[in-house]
Amino acid sequence: MTQSKEATRTWVRAQARRGLRAARPSIALGVFSGLAGAAQMWCAAWLLGQALTAAETSEAPAMSASSDVWRALIAFAALGALRIAVGIGGETLAARASARARTRLRGEVLGAITEGGPALLRQTHSGALAALVVDRIEALDGYFARWAPASVLWMAVPCCLLALVALAQPRAAVVLAICGAAVPVLQAVFGIGAAVASRNQFLAMTRLQARFLDRIRGIATIVLAGRAEDEAARLAEAADDLRRRTMKILRVAFLSSASIDIAMIVALIVIAVMDGHAALAAVHDGASADFASFVARSLFALLIVPEFFAPFRGLALAYQDRAHIQGAATDILALPPPPPLSEALPIRTVEAHGVTIAFEDVSFSWDASRGQALDHVSFVVPAGETVVLAGPSGSGKSTIMELLLGFARPDSGRITFNGADLATVVPDALAKMTSWIGQRPVLFAGTIRENILFSRPDATDEDLASAVRASAVDRFLAELPQGLETRIGEGGFGLSGGQAQRIAIARAYLKNAPILLLDEPTAHLDPMTEADVFESLRRLALKRTVLLASHSTAVHMFNGRRVDLSHGRVKIRQGVA
Amino acid sequence: MSSSARRAERSTADQWAAVPLTTETAPIDDVAAMKRILAVWRPHAPRLFVGLLLSVLAVLAGLAMMSGAGLRLAGAVLGAVVVTTAALRLVGGGRVLLRYSERLYAHDAMFRALATLRVWFFRSLASGAGAGLGFRRAGDLLSRLVSDVEALDGLYLRLLLPLAGACISFPVLLIALARANGLLAALVGALFVIAAFLAPALAARLSRESGDGLLRALAALRIDALDLIGGMREIRAFGAGGRMLERVQEANDTLVGRQTRLAARMALVGGVSQLCTQLAILFLLAAIVGAGFVRIPAVEGVGLLFLTLTAFEGVAGLTRAGMLAGAMGAAASRVVSAAGVSTTEELSVGSAETPSQTTLPTHFDIRFEAIGFRWASNRASVFEEFSLDIAEGSRVALLGASGAGKSTLSALLLKAVRPQNGRVLLGGVDIATIPDEWLRRRVAWLSQATHLFDDTIRSNLLLSNPDASEAALWRALDAAAISDFVRALPEGLDTWLGEGGVKVSGGQGRRIALARTLLADAPILVLDEPTTGLDATVEQEFLTTLNTVAAHRTVLLIAHRLTGVEELDRVWRISGGEATAATA
Repeated sequence: MTQSKEATRTWVRAQARRGLRAARPSIALGVFSGLAGAAQMWCAAWLLGQALTAAETSEAPAMSASSDVWRALIAFAALGALRIAVGIGGETLAARASARARTRLRGEVLGAITEGGPALLRQTHSGALAALVVDRIEALDGYFARWAPASVLWMAVPCCLLALVALAQPRAAVVLAICGAAVPVLQAVFGIGAAVASRNQFLAMTRLQARFLDRIRGIATIVLAGRAEDEAARLAEAADDLRRRTMKILRVAFLSSASIDIAMIVALIVIAVMDGHAALAAVHDGASADFASFVARSLFALLIVPEFFAPFRGLALAYQDRAHIQGAATDILALPPPPPLSEALPIRTVEAHGVTIAFEDVSFSWDASRGQALDHVSFVVPAGETVVLAGPSGSGKSTIMELLLGFARPDSGRITFNGADLATVVPDALAKMTSWIGQRPVLFAGTIRENILFSRPDATDEDLASAVRASAVDRFLAELPQGLETRIGEGGFGLSGGQAQRIAIARAYLKNAPILLLDEPTAHLDPMTEADVFESLRRLALKRTVLLASHSTAVHMFNGRRVDLSHGRVKIRQGVA
Repeated sequence: MSSSARRAERSTADQWAAVPLTTETAPIDDVAAMKRILAVWRPHAPRLFVGLLLSVLAVLAGLAMMSGAGLRLAGAVLGAVVVTTAALRLVGGGRVLLRYSERLYAHDAMFRALATLRVWFFRSLASGAGAGLGFRRAGDLLSRLVSDVEALDGLYLRLLLPLAGACISFPVLLIALARANGLLAALVGALFVIAAFLAPALAARLSRESGDGLLRALAALRIDALDLIGGMREIRAFGAGGRMLERVQEANDTLVGRQTRLAARMALVGGVSQLCTQLAILFLLAAIVGAGFVRIPAVEGVGLLFLTLTAFEGVAGLTRAGMLAGAMGAAASRVVSAAGVSTTEELSVGSAETPSQTTLPTHFDIRFEAIGFRWASNRASVFEEFSLDIAEGSRVALLGASGAGKSTLSALLLKAVRPQNGRVLLGGVDIATIPDEWLRRRVAWLSQATHLFDDTIRSNLLLSNPDASEAALWRALDAAAISDFVRALPEGLDTWLGEGGVKVSGGQGRRIALARTLLADAPILVLDEPTTGLDATVEQEFLTTLNTVAAHRTVLLIAHRLTGVEELDRVWRISGGEATAATA
């Protein structure tokens, strides 16, 4: 636990450093804007000072204005325009830096997820993983675009302004310094709470998202169970929970911005009252020569107060953005680290023709508390032959498939392809050698053509056409509105189970790999379709090394060899060494 | 029947028939969508209104306090008035307090309304989703719920509230300035109109397109990410990791590209609003020193300066909110259209208006009476004049090849579709007049498509009968021949099943789904090929158990074939749109 906390801290620190480096241009522009603002306030203060002392001493009023006044007005306008331009530039640069940072992080997370492979889905909901890739990282926009510059500007700008005020009106500078110093103290008090609350809120949000996605996927089950109202009520509870959590954070956030308001108002009052008394004294003394300059300096000190506190406000607004990185860190670090490459062993590829698969005393468990999924399993699939894996559900058939696909490694024993340990085979080479068809093929967003080409994007039109014929996909193409170009949705809605399975077979034909792994390919098909699909599979199986996990009685079509599993152990071998 | 209802019904039928013809309906225009959403928020109208009132009050108080403070401060500098600390504290403290409570109240009201919107969205979807999600991708829907619904908080907080404030502060500012200097009032008033009304309107129009594109880009990224994650087996098996990663990267680049462009535009539009503020201050300063304007008295001028600053500060965020208004409009129209597409108006109206005093069936004989049905007008009819009687408590098998209409019968019985001709009677009552939920709690259904939720085994079971006792849960698990497995799990009933039941094997998952169906306290069980995916031994065990456990219930077993262990009263073979008796 402490170790993971340490890791989180290290990760956050590294991100902070990168964020700061990228934010340098926006920071420079921010400081410049602050200084321009001070200059603008000086112009305004000088102008107001002129007007007020003129009113006091009742000098010549009316339309005429001196050239000095005009110059000050023009300077005020020019400085204002400059500030706006600098502000636009700084904001745009910050947005770019954030875009770059998010792209980089997303790449890292996706890399870790693809490394982790399907085993990840046993621990984490795909909705939660997608939320990490999309929302968690989107939420970091504020961290890179706002927090990173604000975390420097809140110190830099007030310090610069304080120095300027000290030159004009030392007493006001002292007041400002004290009030300004009070802000970080108050911020620390409220800010920590906000960070904690925000992490909880994010958890609530992820939960709500995962819940909703899952409920939407199974909405037919809910509706046909007559439970739509119950589920709606539960969703309402979750949404209400989210509101309460959000309000908890907002209460703190508003309080923290109110504390800045209070510090600012205190500063304003103290300066106004102090200078009011001083002005009163000056008028009584009748020292009118310095009076105009005194009023200008006092007004400057007053007008600068909002400018002085503006960066604090920026920091307070960005404080929640900072909390997001903590949450993101926890989730990103929870992803499995890239697996260590087997050292010392030569990483190799295996001759791609006629592969013999052998399990040598393989044991494996997904989860220690559930016992062994495979218990000292040994068998051989000779090159170019088909072996049927039989056994009730839960007997370890799927685990064998996962091991062969390289999604998990045996706890003990080894799996060999032509005598080479699977652990030493480059993942790419493994992927090239094997085709896999599962119970329900995943069909991706896109057309049927894209889904078939998925297994070999550079295939020619002839190859595609022959795969479509061989898999009998062409039999149902005519019924579809746009043939191969028909778009299919998530989970392949719009196609029957048999049709989806034919697309998977077409993929395998197109790929033409020497090893074929079939994991209950007909589990969801009716007997007639099953017979059809098995017929296609039998043709596909010719001259390939095939492992077929199935408990269908129709597997006798695949002659002879058979391994019977029960509770992760081999019970009977037929025709298998 | 209205044409839209017909269209909606057709789309549901198509989803059930698994051959969707349309992917999206025409987008609903923004204003109509916003109105629909405001209608959903109606229960929260009082709260939202109080929030609005508070916010206007805070604006007025702010204006009064700040101009007063300006006068006093100017006077103090001149030594004409000594500002009492108490007076200023009242001004400042009061404003801080008002703003704090106003923001808190308005936000709370908004989040309540948003929660209602979420639930409404789910409900609308559920009222037409009997046949699954169809072409609208789950990822897209997720994105809609979370992002779009959240985008809508801006509608009230960032648009409505500041606009109301601007409408109040505009006349106040105008009158105060006009008293001092007509020209100044005209100029500053014009600037205010630009900052508060014109620039936001322009921004909204400019951003309509980019806002829509942004949400689509986000949804596209989410879909690609879900594809990558959900399809990891295929991707690994086909060595497609690189390609799929590239696809997600592309989606990311599109998204951040759009975001960066939008951010640049936002900065520019924000600059326009700042420019208005700066110009207004410049004019006031010029008037105070008498440059180009008739000079206004200095002390009064400072008061007006503060007033102007406060008024402009109040609308500073509006221009940016205007930029978001485009996105909000798009979000609103997407939320409403997503919810509307699947709402078979007839069905939802039917269930909403079915008066509770309609006679509900007192017994459960099922009768299909001269049913005529086709999934879509351009497809062959499944039944022309189909009739079948199933007595209460009888055990009946419906056999037939794929496409013979076996599943259509269960869809008709569950009111997932309605027949074009004839009617379905339950206990002599036309089910068209029975409320959906009442019906579906009495007709328990299990098919291949039955979903296991990412939740505990317990919660999955309780879905069909939330009041079931622990003992009842175990009885159901026993019946489905899965209790030993569950008992052996370290966490027992509280074991998390994982997404789609990923943490248990296919057969075990199916048996848990079976247990859930058995748990429903329903007099009628519709088992639509319940043993698909189970191995022969377990299948026979289960069907045998069913013989005893489902006694006193009507059982409708839909299958391709019988295994020989089923004890049945009748066996019907469905083919050619007719039911013929077969030997059991």
